[in-house]
Amino acid sequence: MPRPDGTREDGSGGEELDARTVKNVARIARLRLTEEEVAQYAKDMDDVLNYFAILDEASDLGRHDFNPVPVSDVLREDEPSLDISPEELRAMMDTYQEMVRGPRL
Amino acid sequence: MSQCRLSPEKLRALNQKYHVFCEIAEDLGALDEYPPHFHFSAKDNLCARGFQARAGSRILEGYRPPFDATAIARMKRFGGVLLGKTTMDEFGFGTFSTNSSHGIPLNPFDQTRACGGSSGGGAAVTCLLEDHVALGVSTGGSISCPASFCGVFGLTPTYGRVSRYGLIDYGNSLDKIGLMARRPEALRTFLPVIAGPDPKDPTSCTQAALDLSPTKVTRVAVPEEAMANLDRGVEAKFTEALDLIGGGIGIEVKRVKMPSLKYALAAYYIIATSEASTNLARYCGMRFGVQNKNVSQHFNDFFSETRSASFGNEAKRRILIGTYTRAIGFRDRYYLKALAVRQSIISEYDRIFQEADLVLTPTMPFVAPSFDQIERMRPLEVYQADFLTVPPNLAGLPHISMPCGYLNSLPAGMQFVAPHWEERRLLVMAENWNKQFQTRFPEGCP
Amino acid sequence: MKIGLEVHVQLPTKSKMFCSCPTTAMEPNNAICPTCLGFPGSRPVLNRRALELGVEIARFMGCIIAEEIWFSRKTYFYPDLPKNFQITQYESPLGIDGQVFLGEKRIGIWRVHIEEDPGRIKRVGRSGEEVSLVDYNRSGIPLVEIVTAPDMSSPEEARQFMSELLVELRHVIGTTPSDEQSVRCDANISVGEERVEIKNIQGLKNLEKALKFEASRQAKMLEAGMRIVRETRRYDEERKVTMSAREKEFEEDYGYIGEPDLGTYNIGNFARSVVTAETPLRRAQRIAGEYVLDFEKAKQVVLTSMALADVLEALAKRVDPEFAMNWVLGPISANWSAIHPRLDQQVQADIVRVVGQVADREITDSEGRRRIGAIAAGEYPDDISCAVADSELDAIISAFLDSNPNVVKDHATNPKAANSAIGHVMKTAPGKYNSKEVVEAVKKEIEKRR
Repeated sequence: MPRPDGTREDGSGGEELDARTVKNVARIARLRLTEEEVAQYAKDMDDVLNYFAILDEASDLGRHDFNPVPVSDVLREDEPSLDISPEELRAMMDTYQEMVRGPRL
Repeated sequence: MSQCRLSPEKLRALNQKYHVFCEIAEDLGALDEYPPHFHFSAKDNLCARGFQARAGSRILEGYRPPFDATAIARMKRFGGVLLGKTTMDEFGFGTFSTNSSHGIPLNPFDQTRACGGSSGGGAAVTCLLEDHVALGVSTGGSISCPASFCGVFGLTPTYGRVSRYGLIDYGNSLDKIGLMARRPEALRTFLPVIAGPDPKDPTSCTQAALDLSPTKVTRVAVPEEAMANLDRGVEAKFTEALDLIGGGIGIEVKRVKMPSLKYALAAYYIIATSEASTNLARYCGMRFGVQNKNVSQHFNDFFSETRSASFGNEAKRRILIGTYTRAIGFRDRYYLKALAVRQSIISEYDRIFQEADLVLTPTMPFVAPSFDQIERMRPLEVYQADFLTVPPNLAGLPHISMPCGYLNSLPAGMQFVAPHWEERRLLVMAENWNKQFQTRFPEGCP
Repeated sequence: MKIGLEVHVQLPTKSKMFCSCPTTAMEPNNAICPTCLGFPGSRPVLNRRALELGVEIARFMGCIIAEEIWFSRKTYFYPDLPKNFQITQYESPLGIDGQVFLGEKRIGIWRVHIEEDPGRIKRVGRSGEEVSLVDYNRSGIPLVEIVTAPDMSSPEEARQFMSELLVELRHVIGTTPSDEQSVRCDANISVGEERVEIKNIQGLKNLEKALKFEASRQAKMLEAGMRIVRETRRYDEERKVTMSAREKEFEEDYGYIGEPDLGTYNIGNFARSVVTAETPLRRAQRIAGEYVLDFEKAKQVVLTSMALADVLEALAKRVDPEFAMNWVLGPISANWSAIHPRLDQQVQADIVRVVGQVADREITDSEGRRRIGAIAAGEYPDDISCAVADSELDAIISAFLDSNPNVVKDHATNPKAANSAIGHVMKTAPGKYNSKEVVEAVKKEIEKRR
């Protein structure tokens, strides 16, 4: 087991994650963070990403399956149907003349 | 069937004390109908008509799905009455159900302690009510962990065994719907009800047929990697259990090495957060859940405003991590690498299953911690508590947790892992163990 | 000048790509379900027909087809994208490295893949303060995306490429005018070194206008010694100018991951089994090559109708191809609206015969025109006797004569013996053949057997 702080025997795995990177990631993810939060998450992410570095030493067969069991060739026939009434779905959303209201562009 | 008549009032009283339900059914009359019905609960990330589905999050406030999850529909068709939706960590992000926005469930054995997570509410209800079966969901151990802390049996089937239609996603290649019950016979009864292909979920359509015919378990492998970093008491109870398995039940216990297990936690959290960060992108103040009325602001501000106000801290943390691990320049090192490492861990289990029927480890490295202890844990420490449940979850292997001892009245659990599609070995093992081992439960009906 | 296109065409399926909602246009938000709205708990299931159509297009464009493909999530935030990610194909397109020919010019096709369409946004309110109203009927409709190499050299050429592509797709996958109306393009254009992208251009006219404007804008900047910034712009249809797309303030990092809900698809065998019927423009190219004819004229014929091309080819085997082409583009085209509905083996044979008679100088040019007119009107002028073998007529006659060999014997001394055969045909296939052709055919068959 690696050390809880992610560092290894040889002392590697300790690069700092800076505030600018965290802000950039937050922007991509549409999260608005206070300066305090940026600092806190930077620390947390640093911890965790340093721990993830253990994979650098793992060997693998180069297969990148997206599922742990094989899933292939599952298809649906091209037959139209509406199982739930669109009216019920529209009623769940904020609509104006049957169109869904959205923000400024 | 229990003599204690359940009613919404009784459940609300139970809930006042333990916070296990975030929503309780208005009418339980069907429980008295003929033919005999049974009661079950569903984790709040499972959609059911007539209930909200908020997955422990404020951002889904008001979401009333217009459909039933397939697992719930199948349980109902079989005679099940849904008592209510159980409390959980937000979107499944957590090990103690303390990240819940709708009440934090308290451990029935000791209310100063956590139930485990993220299916904490479900495990607690199972512990509190006789003859109850709970639908839980596991991504990295969210059925095993609470089952272990609440002293019940928790079965996580093979990935793809149970349709995920109607499950609010955490990690699409990791989520599995499963069952918790006081006795293994209930798991045998209800697994065939919820299992099986569903055209609405392609990942359920290529499964091997469910086979619960009799089978023998004669060899069990214990990886040495699972014996490090355990609480002393848990280690002792586990070792006692091994003696009983070897002696009383007469199964050969082999010690093995599984070196790739040390990568499982990192690979898991990378894949889980990468997938979760995309699954959570849809929560933006439009269409369902919290709907932002402030449309005159620019759409990026509109989205950020809702997401920042309504996601909890752990959700934000995992979104940030998962966005990073699949970003340009990092994707190869983290996301793609983790996928490849998953495959090598699956290969390692395959190798072990050549010489053993099941793999066995303790379920959690400690018994239920107190809320104070949890408060003091750093995020990485919390993630690392999952080091025993994560490997089979990452590999999509079916596994079961069962009580194996009590430390100062708190349950400790052990976890068996079977090859893909071999749930029957787990049920046989659980039933044999239950004959040898005396399970204890706190107060039954209130 | 280098122009490359990313073309998005809606596939003509009955249901959407990942759910069973109908694809037919309706009142806003009337063809929706939890899946195409991205409701939590919903899940995608791939439409078989969408996959097949995508493969057929990739094969048609001469692409190398992948054996196994999968889908990816492209994450970005916009009100028309219900999940705030689009299910598309990133590392695994259906096909790569194909080509199409624009006349003689080769246009490289880099890749062909399929993906889901987002919803449609209507902007309402004052300019600069517009809010969105969204119709999700379009959300989840299957699209094929075709990415070309930057091999086009002018806006006109780009437009021609698009127009020919649409003609061909009608035949390959059966796109309808309404699918074509919703065709969208992203165009990359560089006059100098730097490439500018113009996103979301709707329709062929706008494509040409947008590219013309942009080409001119870039040329002017270069003339003035200014540098062209590599950027994304959009085309304003009303003002007819391209504008910096201020909406996307920063480079989006799409953070692609695989889509685990769908699994993988083995398309190799299906791809190998696809036989594409010859499309109009390819037929025009072949006709031009095979018969040594002008490509533009051949194109005119196939675009009028493939059946007209059938007539041309039949005719070009009987008379000089140029002569055939003149008659096809002349009198036959002139009468085409009347001829087309009547066209069958018989009528085509009649047309070939008439033009052949003109070529052989048996009849005059104007008599030939008159007879074509008569055929169009459904009349059969006296001299058009069907000398062409009609296999069904022959079969009826042969069968009768097989059972009645005495007819052949008697005919040697008494021509009226043929009447029983003639009567038999008229009874067996009433109204199908005119008496003259039956008489001829019976006579021929009897003579064959003597």
